[in-house]
Amino acid sequence: MNTTVTEDLSLFYLISSASVFVQLVMLMLLLASLLSWWYIFRKSFVLRDAVKQSDEFEDNFWRGADLNALYQRATSSRYASSSMERIFVAGFSEFSKHTPGTDIDMIMDSTRRAMQATYQREMDRLETHLSFLATVGSVSPYIGLLGTVWGIMNSFRSLSNVAQATIAHVAPGIAEALIATAMGLFAAIPAVIAYNRYVSDTEKLATRFESFMEELSNVLQRRAAD
Amino acid sequence: MKTGQLRKTTQTEPGTLLAGALALLVHIVFIVLLIFGFDWKAQPPEGMVVDLWQDLPQPIQQPVQQPVVKDTPPPSPAQPKQQPKPVPQPQSEPRPTPVNGTPAPPKKPDIELKDKTEKPKPVKEDNKQALEEQKRKDQEKAAREKAAAEQLQREQEALKKQAQDEQKRREQEEQKKREQEEQKKRELEEQKKREREEQQKKEIEAQKKREQEEKARLEAQQAAAAAARAQIASEIGKYKAMILAKIKSRIVMPPDLPGNPVAEFNVTLLPGGDILDVRLRKSSGYPAFDSAVERAILLSKPLPLPPDPALFNEFRNLHVIVHYLE
Repeated sequence: MNTTVTEDLSLFYLISSASVFVQLVMLMLLLASLLSWWYIFRKSFVLRDAVKQSDEFEDNFWRGADLNALYQRATSSRYASSSMERIFVAGFSEFSKHTPGTDIDMIMDSTRRAMQATYQREMDRLETHLSFLATVGSVSPYIGLLGTVWGIMNSFRSLSNVAQATIAHVAPGIAEALIATAMGLFAAIPAVIAYNRYVSDTEKLATRFESFMEELSNVLQRRAAD
Repeated sequence: MKTGQLRKTTQTEPGTLLAGALALLVHIVFIVLLIFGFDWKAQPPEGMVVDLWQDLPQPIQQPVQQPVVKDTPPPSPAQPKQQPKPVPQPQSEPRPTPVNGTPAPPKKPDIELKDKTEKPKPVKEDNKQALEEQKRKDQEKAAREKAAAEQLQREQEALKKQAQDEQKRREQEEQKKREQEEQKKRELEEQKKREREEQQKKEIEAQKKREQEEKARLEAQQAAAAAARAQIASEIGKYKAMILAKIKSRIVMPPDLPGNPVAEFNVTLLPGGDILDVRLRKSSGYPAFDSAVERAILLSKPLPLPPDPALFNEFRNLHVIVHYLE
């Protein structure tokens, strides 16, 4: 008779007793959360490395190292080059292809274009998966809410068959439904934070690359004029 | 060639596996926190049963009465055990018969039954003595059974009587109890009534007292107000006299006017004694006198005003009357 002496409301019980739709929603959210965390960590490593390598390269570059030596070091197959190095390599190789007799403006234009292309490719690489984080951050609360609304609808519908309605009839259903919202928020909050952080980081890197490109073209132009 | 090489290097990303492991770790930590950091057991509060009794004696009486009625049948099944042999079949029949008062009916079926069961024996033996013996035995048996039945009846009656007595006694007790309770209730009600009356009396007295106090207070208040008003009136009179004196001291009287002309002015004042507006209300008939008074009023600003700003309303629109002769 008295089924609920101590009702077991453990997490697994609540999830396993939820309706199939809510379970699907939860599964989706779990996957989204896992993926977004994976991307968060990957991006954090990538961006950290990019910043560190750019620091090193700029340090070397402005210390007055020979451009040829830098080029050789960057293109050696053993060495994992950084984004800034790749931009440098693209610009420098394009610059060295021209024979000394050609017009300086033409040389500089093509050099700039080569660097621009590499820069765009690098930015694209740095920005991959950021859109995924943004999507998870904005959509997963809604998905969780959908699961919750569905679960609450079900629990209220089952309530209509009961003559004497008590809170005990709906409470487990609502609790299990609210887990969906909790999961949605759990997936969304870190994704949004990471997205904002990484966007600002990549923008900082982009301005650094752009200014480096301008400075490098100045250096190359001076070299061509000599 | 070169671009292909570059693309290859872009695709090797550092720490992909490590990132996956960290992501898994984050989720495991979160789930562990959820499971152990949260009390998932919901303990419902222990139920409490509350019976509401409006009237105590009556609900008890009914359950008691019913068992008494039900108690009467049980003794009869107990009876057959005391009796030596009687077959259970007839036993069920004698019970209703005692009500009729005729013990005869049970005898007949009994004999018939016995005849049926025991006739084969005498037929075989063909013995008259045996028959007579049988008859005698039957008679004895019948007598015994009759006696038993009568006893049964008697016992049942006694039992019934006892039960009735018991019930009567109980009813009497309950009646007494009820009466006692009613008595108690009545006493309680009377006491309550008395208390209520006392309370009312007290309240009325308190009311009267309060009213008296209120009256006294009102009177005191009125007296105080009257005193204050009188003081205010005297204050106002004093300041009006001062204003008039000041104005008069500033008047440069035109010489040789016949009679005693009177000029009346309406003066509007600002707080602080400044004059906002001076209007001739009633001319004296001599423009020289009127203008002299007007000039005097304008000259005498600021006019003396009482320091209490609440009294200013009395001076806002001042009515100044100046006589030519004092």
